[in-house]
Amino acid sequence: MAEYLGAGVFVPENDPQHREYLTEAGKGYLPLQQCDDCGAKIYPARTMCPECRSSDMTWVAASGKGTIYSYYIVPHPINPAFKDFVPYPVILVELDEERGTMGEHRALRIVGNLLGDDGNPAPREDVAIGKRVEVTIVDLGDGWGLPQWKLSGEPDEHEAWQIPHSYPP
Amino acid sequence: MAKGHGLLRGKYAVVGVGETEYSRNSGRTTRQMGVEAVKKAIDDSGLDYDTTSWGTTCYQVGDAAGSEIIFSDLGVRMDYQVDTWGGGSSSETLIGLAIGALEAGLCDAMVVYRTMNGFTEMRIGGTPVGAPAGPPPFMTRHGDHTMHSRIYGIASALQNFGLSFVRHMYEYGTTPEQLAHVKVAHSKGASNNPKAYYKQRLTVDDVLNSRYIVEPFHLLDCCVETDNATAIVITSTERARDLPRPNVAILGTGGRTHKWSPDYHWNHGPINQVGGIYTKDVVFPNAGIGPEDVDITGSYDAFTFTTLLQLEAYGFCPIGEGGHYVSDGTIELGGRRPNNPSGGHLCEGYTHGMNMVIENVRQLRGEVDDYCEGEHTYDYSEGACRQVQDPQITMNLGWAQPPTGSSLVMTNQV
Repeated sequence: MAEYLGAGVFVPENDPQHREYLTEAGKGYLPLQQCDDCGAKIYPARTMCPECRSSDMTWVAASGKGTIYSYYIVPHPINPAFKDFVPYPVILVELDEERGTMGEHRALRIVGNLLGDDGNPAPREDVAIGKRVEVTIVDLGDGWGLPQWKLSGEPDEHEAWQIPHSYPP
Repeated sequence: MAKGHGLLRGKYAVVGVGETEYSRNSGRTTRQMGVEAVKKAIDDSGLDYDTTSWGTTCYQVGDAAGSEIIFSDLGVRMDYQVDTWGGGSSSETLIGLAIGALEAGLCDAMVVYRTMNGFTEMRIGGTPVGAPAGPPPFMTRHGDHTMHSRIYGIASALQNFGLSFVRHMYEYGTTPEQLAHVKVAHSKGASNNPKAYYKQRLTVDDVLNSRYIVEPFHLLDCCVETDNATAIVITSTERARDLPRPNVAILGTGGRTHKWSPDYHWNHGPINQVGGIYTKDVVFPNAGIGPEDVDITGSYDAFTFTTLLQLEAYGFCPIGEGGHYVSDGTIELGGRRPNNPSGGHLCEGYTHGMNMVIENVRQLRGEVDDYCEGEHTYDYSEGACRQVQDPQITMNLGWAQPPTGSSLVMTNQV
């Protein structure tokens, strides 16, 4: 059975969108659905293209590059699976794909965690809005993979911005 | 008929309110608390238990006793009942639904109630107290977005909402100090509210010196989870004229309007604006007023920042200027437009929105429960008055998550 952080990862047989999503990610890339009729790229996994209401979609590989759009740091685990993972950054990544093509303020924005080179959560100092990131796939077993993120090493897209520290150290 | 037609403006009224103690150790079932709150609200209304045609609606998330139990204990026969699923944003939404049931001739009076052991049974984030200690599996249900959210450690309400407000900080320079002023303002009201769970007046430094729950949000940016039940009674304004309580008419509601893709809203920006940007286009035309007409706001303050984002969305200040609006004294007791003078969810208690509706009803009646003996003094020093002077219009701002809003406008000018 697939596992992540010591907890089982389970998708019922009647949920092919998510089974396929994890299977495609297991091949080593960030999977998006692309609508066969209107060409829209779709994330998260859906049962219908919300742009044109077609049911015909095909999995395609995203470039896997993007920019941190927002983030926060979680110091305490709620699910005990995260007890050795804290503190961890939750980041919202704006993908390079489809930027500026879907209308004002729209983009494909994907939540995930920023990881360091060792696969552990990146330290607070490394996280900032404006930093460039690229996808990295974490193996869940059984051929399934989970898209995560690491710094790409590219120059910041714009001046990097970090949460002002307002708690006495 | 079109959205926001306003044809029922002022036609229905809130005639009864009631609640239990706000505690963290009720020691009672949601059934027993619900019965107490509903009975208090019906008693307050003066409507007859036996000869009134009653309808009822409640909301819950599988954590509370339903209407068929509550009304059986009360010995009241129901002509209409629709219990619904939901938490925040339900109060205002169900008041609109209740008006619909009354207008449709399904019954003559409607009860809306919420009963919850929000501290001792079901905590915020949906974690039942006493759940197994081991990690639960990451498992999709009904095709939900577990593989796009919970598996990344996004579990609680704060973790669901946080990305929206951090983007607000980035774009507009909004600071943790400005946010802290929301807690300061609400605690000022709570200090004059005998029912409030937290009555202590707080400072900006108190908030900033409390530990991070999710950085950049502090413990005191979060509301107080409590056990409690709350209820209100609605009937026609015509019927209300024969009842003993001061009349509080409903000018308009907006019910759980959504931004695009509310199941995963980040693809549709601006992500730092919330569902109220759509609700306002329903509720203001329905009520026939604008934000400048409102004397008291009642925001859904699950967190300090939910207040700020809602006040911006409804136009109480321009988008991006919420940090100034919440920190310049406007929203404090004694300010130009107080917000949650009861202390709200941050200080009084957590009821998924109902207690702020009850507070506004009492404010409009001119009879909030504070420490005044006899007439209200309008002395807002600690341990004194919290009655706002001569309010005429109040507005409740309901919140479920960043893309979802609901609203209610009430008046005593009937």
